[in-house]
Amino acid sequence: MKMIFDSSTLILLAKIDLLRESAEAISIVIPSKVKEECLFKDSLDALLIKTLISKGKIKVEKAGNQEAVRKLRADFRIEAGEAQALWLGKKLGVALAVDDGPTIKACKVLGVQFVTAIHFLINLRTRGKLELPMAFAKLDGLATYGRYSRKIIEDAAQRLKGGN
Amino acid sequence: MGVISLRLKDRDLERLDELSKATHKDKSTMARELLEYGWDFLMLKYYKEGKLSLTGLAKKLDVSISEALDLLKERGIEAPIGFDDYLKGFEVLDRVK
Repeated sequence: MKMIFDSSTLILLAKIDLLRESAEAISIVIPSKVKEECLFKDSLDALLIKTLISKGKIKVEKAGNQEAVRKLRADFRIEAGEAQALWLGKKLGVALAVDDGPTIKACKVLGVQFVTAIHFLINLRTRGKLELPMAFAKLDGLATYGRYSRKIIEDAAQRLKGGN
Repeated sequence: MGVISLRLKDRDLERLDELSKATHKDKSTMARELLEYGWDFLMLKYYKEGKLSLTGLAKKLDVSISEALDLLKERGIEAPIGFDDYLKGFEVLDRVK
């Protein structure tokens, strides 16, 4: 399964050290501007993303129609990387991995399916790729860096335990 | 560095004076620091209200997206993701077996 990633989800998964596992589960594609945004400054997450790109685990694609990307930016108050990801998702008819409010709103308006970082954690646990204690450690990381609402974290904890 | 002159309310002048004495910094330095704090606060408010995307916030604060996430974590600002958005996500990833 192919999925377009926005910088927010890519960096979040890198921060909690779940990006490599996610890249094994699905085919990750990022637009060139997202690559630029993620590698803007040296950091551990930037280094991981750079490594996965060089190993071909994350593919970089150009978003072609600059005029359409510009319009998306203006219509939804989003930046170039977010707009390119949205444009690619719409063009290729694949879902977007995004943890950004305005871009999620845009997905809903344009009918582009989306997931967030927490869905990758639950999916990996459901498929038996993560032991429960490790899954909970990652959930703690996502609660901290992802700043999901308490309701979402509680529901995710139940799902990790196999409750839903 | 540019120079501007501006009129401040008496109350703001008193505050500037108070902070300047407390921190042993001159008033100009203190005013510049307050402007920076105010800018950061306003940009975080815009992000919280959905007027700025995460990348937009990072740009306005002149930091990387990773650093913007760290800052949001420090300030305890909840992600703008609703429970219904979260539930919708399962429709997509449930297909990955």
